[in-house]
Amino acid sequence: MTVAFENVRFGYGAAPTLEGVDLRWRAGEFIVLAGANGSGKSTLLKLSLGLLKPQAGTIEVLGGSPFEAGIRRRTGYAPQGLRMATSLPVSVTEVVAAGLAPSKGLFSRMGRLDWRKVNAAIDAVGLGDLSAECLFELSGGQQQRAILARALVGDPSLLLLDEPTTGIDRGLRPALAAELRRRADAGATVVAVSHDPDDFHEVSDRILVIQDGQITQITHAEFHTHFDPGAAK
Amino acid sequence: MNILFANFVVRAYVAGALVGIAAPTIGCFLVQRKLSLIGDGMGHLAFAGVAIGVALGFSPVWGALVMAILGALLLERLRARGRLSSDLSLALIFYFGIALGVVVLSATGKFNATAFGVLFGSPFSTTDYELVVILALCILVLAVTAVFYKELLAVALDEETARASGLPVDQLNVLLVVMVALLVAAGMRVVGLLLIAALMVVPVATGSRLAHSFRGAMYWAVGAGVLSALLGVVIAVEQGSLAPGGSIVLTSIGLFFVAAVVGRRAARLHTRGGGQ
Repeated sequence: MTVAFENVRFGYGAAPTLEGVDLRWRAGEFIVLAGANGSGKSTLLKLSLGLLKPQAGTIEVLGGSPFEAGIRRRTGYAPQGLRMATSLPVSVTEVVAAGLAPSKGLFSRMGRLDWRKVNAAIDAVGLGDLSAECLFELSGGQQQRAILARALVGDPSLLLLDEPTTGIDRGLRPALAAELRRRADAGATVVAVSHDPDDFHEVSDRILVIQDGQITQITHAEFHTHFDPGAAK
Repeated sequence: MNILFANFVVRAYVAGALVGIAAPTIGCFLVQRKLSLIGDGMGHLAFAGVAIGVALGFSPVWGALVMAILGALLLERLRARGRLSSDLSLALIFYFGIALGVVVLSATGKFNATAFGVLFGSPFSTTDYELVVILALCILVLAVTAVFYKELLAVALDEETARASGLPVDQLNVLLVVMVALLVAAGMRVVGLLLIAALMVVPVATGSRLAHSFRGAMYWAVGAGVLSALLGVVIAVEQGSLAPGGSIVLTSIGLFFVAAVVGRRAARLHTRGGGQ
């Protein structure tokens, strides 16, 4: 089991965002997390990453605690949008290489093989021609792809992606979705938060919807019947 | 002999060049993390350390070093707990340090030219012993930066993602502010405690105008830092009565404006080239 939640409760104030959550994500699964704004999708990811502590219940990730550095090094995380200061220029290559820093370990330098991995991750998101460019001079969609490459570069066992297709042209989304499916087929667990599960219709295994602190598994057809993406946005 | 090559001036060049290399190197991480004022805060606190050192009869450099490191740890603790979200806490620490320094020095009858040298720099009075201390501190800062470069950059780019991926973010933050403290002590003689933070920030701003990558900006910043220090010392020597700390920082600001103009023109050419 890659991720297991047992009766997890979490809230930012008095009212819980998530209540009594039980879930199991297995290796090789591609899961889409859907739900309205503020429903707790990003919270669920942050609990899985050990960035938040559950107020009740237990969370197991990759057979251990999400607070262990060794476990965290086996996860890849792409937050929603650019979360970095734009004070200094940073190249696409530098941003993606930063994703390898944890798995390389302290005191070790980047070798030729590491740079090959960085270039492969950049190519996988279609930014090969822009690898030397400053990230902040690129479009929002290109920046999002660079952040996605940073999450992919370490070949993590668990990929947690918060709105990974935000700002990315619709024409490019199927290729990115296929790349994520390839990762899942290779044994990784891929979890993508999305307002629009259609982005991953062809490649995902399950859609989980968070509503009123509870998680429900639904089909694509049910999503469109009961959870109008337009309303969710 | 030309005064520009007199022993005391050569020592000023060497001390200035060392700080001119190390300060912008660390400054790149501070600026990227929007912590530009941390160096200022530690400089103010270090002044209290200098005063206590002078009052107790030991070297001002060591007093500054101890107080700057203690201040660094305090500032990082406040920042990590989210208590530096407003600039009020930082300002309180600034003023506490400078006021304590003034009170202690005046109480011991030593609020004189020495205090001005510490506050605004006096590179021409750098002793051989101080030069060795500056060299050791700068080499230590540069060596630590080289070893932890990829980790420091990952945290500077996105602290939350770095933490989520298993990097020891809290320890790296402490390491960064302690290196700032070492630089404050190293730069005290060159540009003074009130201006050392400028050498951590202004050359970095210059580098940011000329590069397309973090590493490129760092190289340009180091170049600007060294050039500022050397030109600032030359200007101070040639003019005779100028305070070198001020001339170094003003030279640095002058280089920034040159870089801003050059960088803007280069960006236009880059855009036109990309559009063809």
